[in-house]
This record gives sequence, C-alpha cells and structure tokens, in this order.
Amino acid sequence: MKTKVTRRKFLAGSAGTIAGLSLAGTLPKRSFAHEEGEVIKIGFLGALTGDLAGWVLPGLYGVEIWVEQINAAGGVKVGGDWHQIEVISYDDEYLGAKAVTGAKKLVLEDEVKFLVMSFTTPVFAAQPFLTEQKMVSTTLTPSDMSPERPYLIAPVEQHPFYLVTGVEWIRRNRPDIKTVAFVTQNDELGMNSLATYAAAFEVAGIEIIEEKLFGFEITDFAPVVSAVLAAKPDMLCLDTAYPDYINLILEQAFLQGWQGPLIGASLDNYPAIIAKTSQEFLEGYIFHYPDFDDPRLQEPDINFTNAAEFYRVYTERHPGAWNAVSWEYAAILAMWKGAVEAADSAEPMDVFQAMKSTDAPHIFGPAAWWGTEVYGIDNAPVGKWPVVQMQSGKPVIVDMADMRPWLAEHQDVLMRHMKDRNVI
Amino acid sequence: MLELILQTCVNAIIATSFAAIFAVGLMLIFGVMQIINFAHGELYMAGAYTVWVVYAENNLPFFVAVLAAALVVIVIGLLMEVALFRPLRGNMLGGLIVSIGMLFILQVLAVHFFGEGLMKTILSPYRGAWEVFGLRGITVPYQRLIVLGVASGLLALFWVFLRRSRLGWALRACTQDPEAAALQGISINKFALIAMAISAGLAGVGGAVMAPLVVVDPHMGSSVIIMALIVVIVGGLGSLEGAVLAAIIYTFFHTFMTTFFDGVIANILGLVVMMLVLVIRPTGIMGTSEKS
Amino acid sequence: MKKASSPWTKGLSLGALLAAVCVLPFIVKPFQLEVLIFLFINIVLVVSFRLIAITGEFSLAHVVIMGTGAYASALLGKWFGLDPWLTMLFGSLTAAAIAYILSFPLFRMKGFYFLIGSFAAGEAIRLSWGRFRGVFGGSKGISAIPPLEIGNINLGMPVPFYFFALAWMVICLVIMYRLEKSRLGLTLHAIHWQDLLAESVGVNARHYRVLAFVIASFFAGFAGTMLAHYLSVISPHEFGLGIMLSVLVWAIVGGVGTFAGPIIGVVLLSFVDESIRAFDEYRPLVYGIVLILTILFLPEGLQGLPARVTLFVRRFWRGGRRETVEARPTGAGVASDRPPPSAS
Repeated sequence: MKTKVTRRKFLAGSAGTIAGLSLAGTLPKRSFAHEEGEVIKIGFLGALTGDLAGWVLPGLYGVEIWVEQINAAGGVKVGGDWHQIEVISYDDEYLGAKAVTGAKKLVLEDEVKFLVMSFTTPVFAAQPFLTEQKMVSTTLTPSDMSPERPYLIAPVEQHPFYLVTGVEWIRRNRPDIKTVAFVTQNDELGMNSLATYAAAFEVAGIEIIEEKLFGFEITDFAPVVSAVLAAKPDMLCLDTAYPDYINLILEQAFLQGWQGPLIGASLDNYPAIIAKTSQEFLEGYIFHYPDFDDPRLQEPDINFTNAAEFYRVYTERHPGAWNAVSWEYAAILAMWKGAVEAADSAEPMDVFQAMKSTDAPHIFGPAAWWGTEVYGIDNAPVGKWPVVQMQSGKPVIVDMADMRPWLAEHQDVLMRHMKDRNVI
Repeated sequence: MLELILQTCVNAIIATSFAAIFAVGLMLIFGVMQIINFAHGELYMAGAYTVWVVYAENNLPFFVAVLAAALVVIVIGLLMEVALFRPLRGNMLGGLIVSIGMLFILQVLAVHFFGEGLMKTILSPYRGAWEVFGLRGITVPYQRLIVLGVASGLLALFWVFLRRSRLGWALRACTQDPEAAALQGISINKFALIAMAISAGLAGVGGAVMAPLVVVDPHMGSSVIIMALIVVIVGGLGSLEGAVLAAIIYTFFHTFMTTFFDGVIANILGLVVMMLVLVIRPTGIMGTSEKS
Repeated sequence: MKKASSPWTKGLSLGALLAAVCVLPFIVKPFQLEVLIFLFINIVLVVSFRLIAITGEFSLAHVVIMGTGAYASALLGKWFGLDPWLTMLFGSLTAAAIAYILSFPLFRMKGFYFLIGSFAAGEAIRLSWGRFRGVFGGSKGISAIPPLEIGNINLGMPVPFYFFALAWMVICLVIMYRLEKSRLGLTLHAIHWQDLLAESVGVNARHYRVLAFVIASFFAGFAGTMLAHYLSVISPHEFGLGIMLSVLVWAIVGGVGTFAGPIIGVVLLSFVDESIRAFDEYRPLVYGIVLILTILFLPEGLQGLPARVTLFVRRFWRGGRRETVEARPTGAGVASDRPPPSAS
C-alpha cells in the first residue's frame, strides 16, 4: 500500500484525539485509491454539508463507485502505463469563498488534474483562479458557461435544452393537450427550466395558463398545488425541481384530485411516489432520467461502461439515494477518461484539447459542442437525450431524441423566453 | 374562485395547527429557561426519523410510532437540559451556542444513521383524502386531519394543564417571571425538566404526525425553526394564547399569499407583516413584559 | 486580573504580531492565504457585530446588511460603470442607510424581540434578492464584479489583496477600537448596563443604539464590498442564516465582553473549521462538539482563557490555596449579564 494521507487515514489518526467522537470508528468506508502505478488525482468540489448536500453527496457516491470499478479494471492507460485514479473531495458548503479556497487546495496542494464542481456561485467564484491555472473544471448547468471561463465545461448535463424533446414528444403523441400549468422552484434549475419549457410549449402550440413559484423555505405544497389546479389546465408541468419537492407536489396533486397528464425533468424514487399515489396516477408521466438498468442504456452507442452494474451496486450500497445527479459526475469522469486515453496524457490542457477536437463522446451518444449562440462559448455538448415515460410503474425510454434540430429551428423563440425570464 | 378560497382556508387551518404546537414548545423553553433552542427543529426531525424506523421500517402501528417519537425526543430533550442547559443556567448566549452545537450534532447523526440523499418516504396509515362536507374540489387528506386532531388535542390538554393544575400554574409563573418564581420557592431546575419534556414531546409528536407529509431529511428542521421563532415573538413571549393567535395570523396570511401570488412573495410579505405587528406592539400581540 | 501590561510591551507585541502577519503570505500555502484573506474580512464583520452587541442587542440582520453593501457596490458598478473604489464607499454608505431605515421598526423592540425582529427584517431583504431576478439577479446573484486596482496592481490577485484586506482590517479595527474607548463608546457600554439610569442622566439610549447600529452596519457593508470585489460574485446564499449563525458563534465563543474576544473567536474557530475539513460531511459534528465543550468549560468565551490559565497556574503553585481572583473580565460580559435565578 502506498503511503498517502487520504481522508480515511486522517480520520484514523485524529479520531483518537477527539474526545467523544466514538463514531469515527464506524465511519463508512470511502476507499478511493488502489496500489501500484502513479496515481492520477481528481478533485471533487461541492456542498457535502448543508441543505444542498442531499443533492451533491449522491453524486460523490456515484463517483466512488465508478472509481472503484475503473481501478479494479486496471485504471486509466496513459503512455503505456496503467494508472489508478484517486478522488479528493472538499466541502465548498455552496459558498464562493470556500470554493476558492478549495479549488486552490485541490489544484496546488493535491495537484489534481481535473476538477468536478456543482453549479453557479461556487463555480463562478473559483473560475478566475482555475482559468489562470488552465485547469479544466466542470459544472452541472450549462448556463454557468461564459467566454470568460474558457476551461469550464458542462460535459454531461444538457439541462435545460433536452426538455424540448419531451414537449415535442407530447406534441406528436398527445395533440389533445392545449393548456399547461407550472409549479416552479425559484432557483437556476427551476427558472432555466421554466424558460425552456415556455419556449417549447409555444412552439408546440400549448398555452401556459398558470405559473406558481416556490422557494426553499417551503414546508407545505398544498397551497401551491391548489392554486395551479384551480386554473384547470390540461397538463401539469413540474419543471425542474429537487426530487423531494417533486415527490411532495405529486402527492398533493394526487390527493387534490388531479388525474391528467404530467411532465417534468425528473422523477426520482418513483416507487415511493407510486406507493403514495397510484400507478395509474403516474402512468404516462414524461421525464428525462432513466434508471441505468434500462435495456436501451446497455447498447453500444452509450458511452458508459456497464451502466446496469453501476446502477445495481449504487442502489445496493446507498438505498434511496439514486437521483438525477447520482450518475452525472461519474459520467463526466467517464468522458474525461476517454479524453485522457485519446490524448495519451492526463495533463488538463491535453485532455481539454482531446475533448474539444472531436464530437463529444457524450454518455447518450455522440454530440456536438455547442453553446455560442446562447452563452458565447461552445463548451457543452448537445445531442441526444432520453425521453422517458412511466409505463405500468416502470420508466421506459420511449425516444432517444436529438435536440439539435429543434434548437436550430427555434433558437430565437428560446432566446426570447430566456431573456424574458432573466436567465441569460 | 370560491372553491379555491375554501380550499385555501382548509390548507391554512391544517398548517396552523402544526405551527402552533411547534411554536408553543419553543416558547415554553424560552419562557422557563431563557434559552433560544435553535435545535428545536432538530427535535422535530428526530421525531420524524423515529416514525421512519418504528412505523415504516418495522411496520409497527402508526400510533405506536408517534408515542415512540414522543419518548425518544423527550429523552433527547432531557439530556440536553441536564447536560447542556442546566450548567449554563442564566447564560442566555451560552445556551444559544450549545443549542447551535446540538443542531450540528443531530444533523450529522441523522446523515450517519439514515443517509443523505432522497427524503424518507413514509406512507400515511390512512391514505386518501376527505372531500370536505362532500363538496367537490375541496379536499383534505386524512393524514392532515390526523395532524389537526393531534395538534389541537395536545394544545387543549396543555391549556387545561396550565390553567387547571397546580403544576401548570407554577409552570406559568416560571414562564412569566423566572426570577420571581425562584423567589417564591419554585425550583427552576425541576420546572426546566418539565418544560423541556413538554416542549420536546410536542416537537417529537409534531415531527411524527408530519412525517408522512413533509420532506424527511437531515435538514428538515431548518425550514420550520424560522417560522416558529417568528410566531413566538409575534404572539408575545410567555403567552400560549398569543402563540396560537400568531400561528393563525401568520399561516393564514402565508397560505393565501402563496395561493394568490407565489411562495417566495408569501415568505417576504409574511416577514414584513410580522415586522409591522411588532412595530405596533413591540412585545407581541399578547406579550406583557420585555425580556432581554 | 492579568498583570497590567505596560503600553510598551503591548505595543511591542502588537508590532511583532503585525510583522508576523506581513511575512505570512510568503510562507503559507496559497489556499491558506485564501483562508487568511476571508478571515480578515470576517474579523471586520464580527468586530462590527460586537459594536451593536455592546449596547445590549444582538442583530441577526448583520450578515444581510453586509450583503446590502456588497449588492449595492456590485450593482452601482454594473449599472453606471462607476469605479470600484467609489462603489465600495457607496456600498458601505448604502448598508448604513438601510440600517438607519431598519432602525425605526427594530429599535422599538428589545432583547429577544430585537433578535428575531432583526432576523425577519434581514431575511425579507435577502429573499427579495432571490425573487426579483431583473434587479438582483435571482439565486445566481451577480457575477463578473470588477476587481479593484491601484495604479496597475490588480488587487484581484491573492498577495496584493491580502495586504489590501489586512490594511483595511487594521484601519477598521483601529477606528472601532478608538470609538469604543471614546465618550461615545463609554455611553454605549453604559446604556447596556443601565438603560434607565443612562436615561435619567439625560442620555437618549435609543439614539445611541441607532448610532451604534448604523456605524456597525457601515463597517459590515464595507466588509461585504471587499468580499464582492475579491470573489467577483455574490448571491443570496452567501449571506444566509448559516453565515449569520457563524458570526454569532464566533462572537459569543470568543466572548463579547472584550474587544479582542470576537477576534480570538473567529481566528480560532476558522482554524478549527479548516483543520477538520477532511471529515467531509462529518465536519459539523466535530465543530458542534468543539462549540459545546468551549461554552461549557469557558462560559465567558475564549477571551477568558488566559485568566483561567493564570488562575490555574497560581492555584497550582500555591498548593491549591483558594484564590479570589475574578476570572471573568470586566466590560460588557454578556455571559455574566443575568444572575442565575438560584443565586438569590
């Protein structure tokens, strides 16, 4: 075993010195690196404590499992040698100041070669330093991209653009739907989602008749849901919201008698929601996050090795934690690994060139680097994204829809809505 | 429109009942021990997680889980009183800091034992909803009726206890003027234990009956503690009736604003209205003394 | 009581401390330098927080007030293209002005009412930043805030900004220290101790409280503008309840009784917080235990530690003979504010 002061070692050493911390001995195992070869380090900078931890920590769990699987298979091959991967995490508490500190520690002290981050403020705050260092970092929201942040990429998440594919599916398959009402989370996810859905519904000829915003301080969804149901829409759109909010909104809609069609970005932990509502209630729900044991994701055009096995290990080890970001950080690293092997180097700029020089090997198939029209820089791949439908209580990929034709044709509509809602 | 207004009233009544028992517990601690218990929301969380373990995971009846939640949370509360608050009696700021410390500890324990990530889904023992007096479009889920029943029952019991028993009378004396009560020979330590037990019990039961309705996660306490602190001061410290009245005003206002404007505007205006009430009555609606 | 240190030794030790702080950026690691920079900003914040606390009130709007300074400075730069130096001044003044407006409703309240009332006022402002996207940028806040420049030195760089923040911190601390030792400061202490007595000799307590609140808010706003122009991005979350609780904890754990208390608190607790980072999601647990142990064993805060140690050492030397040394420092020790009810 190589001697490296990892998180766990630190814990073991300091546990005895901290009186009363009997927990330390029972901390869950977070084994990162294996032995042999020169280790390549990757930084994980995100909120591990506080309200947002419920969103980011499941992503770190996914990274751990992915790293374990890759390391067990030998690691990453650079220059004829196999290298193990080690992930070093730092809690940015979703604060700018901590993100700057963490980025410097990870890049200069730990010498990570790649940095995955969450989104918005912490990403913005760390970028001047990361740009100066020519360090490649990633965000979960393409709306964070800007020409001033040339090495910030959004390699996996194509939110909110893929939402148009769901609306297109509705337009083709449900011509009876003419009106829609929104429940929207008041943050970057929710507002970007609202703007994109609004554009897509306009193109599809569906009228928006009610919108209700809610903030993170919310404890009771009954009033919000009562208000949107009172508008008597044909369809209810849940926009992009944290999974727990989706859960409660759906339960309220069910209890207040909603029986119509539903659409939204995600539907995490659907078995729990079915248990609270009914299978019929969720039947036909259109969203965009498949389970990774879906047969479609085992096909060769999917750039994620053994998705089903990843899903099995994940749900076994962290029951009830699988959400929309559980696989995203891992998928980012899978893309990074591909670029490292293509460049035959782990140096950030080599990897960056390798990534950008070809069509992006996006998890859901080849994609083109895109974004200039909206954000001024082409650092997000757009291409295919699954349209998922609930069928008999199971999510089924009904389409691997390419969003590029829609974006090419209706870009002006999208830009107008995004400007109206102050998201760009 | 009438339908929506009626439905909103129904929503508000349910929300009020919970706000009231939660805030009354917080007020009691402050009244007797002069401590702002920032960890009160985490006691509520502990109640919800107890229901998760007892009812959802081990399939025991729901009412057993509620009783277990009350017991577990009362034990946590009493431990806090004996180990933390008692040594710091008279030191209001010290009490505040240890309660913040407790808040961190309880949250991490929840992460450790129950995991971070998606909320725990707890199914209501009585699924479905009641159409209020058979009116179509106005519904109230059975679980919310349970919240209403349990909360108003506990409040009534507590009121009777305060008004009709000797112990209650003494407790009231403690909340209104702890120093004078001490001079009268009332043991603050004893009543601190009683107050803590009642307060923690209310938080625990609140968390237990709300568990099937809310996001059950390690941070669930932070959203309710703010509401409760505001309700407590608007009602006026030391006044049970005031807390209930403030809970009614705040939640009705907030619920209507959420329905007819949006959730964020409701939060902002709710805070502004509370400020206005305090400008007119700087010691709250029913508060009499200024405590510092 | 500590041995009365002569002005000479005091000056000498302060000078040595300052010299050490000037050498630090060249020996510490870059990320530790960041920690120090944010520490300086937080020191200004927590010392200004104490300025209100010495009048007997704790304002939970303080971090949001800091945010109003940051937002005002960032927005003025964005809308009118004003120079950052100018917007920093206007930002601080805006914070003071908002505080003055808030003082009308807030200073009708006292104690616990003031504590929660100030929180409600601050939270209403903070939520507005998140709600009104057109003006305040919503939850993503404002980014690309221009960095400060002196001549052609870009203060966005850590080492120059370190000295910049250090210099302003020292200036702010000197001003606030002088203020506390002035007639105004003595009056502030007096109204904390005896509201009625102060009134009876013709001091308008409310007037002085408002004054302290506005001055403190100016400094908080200034700290906010430093943060905004250094980070180049601000958002509502940066000024949330979590940070406010941190400020409260720093001040009280350090001890609000003395000028140095909150500084000791923020320095030591930031150090603790940074040194337990490797615990990841378990860090708040360790932090919580540290808080509880500190308060249980040092109820008057860390600033009481030297006196306690001295007491202990003396007792030890004199073979356990009881000493009547008062461990608690004088001044507005809020810890000793209320006699324990059982004491009578």
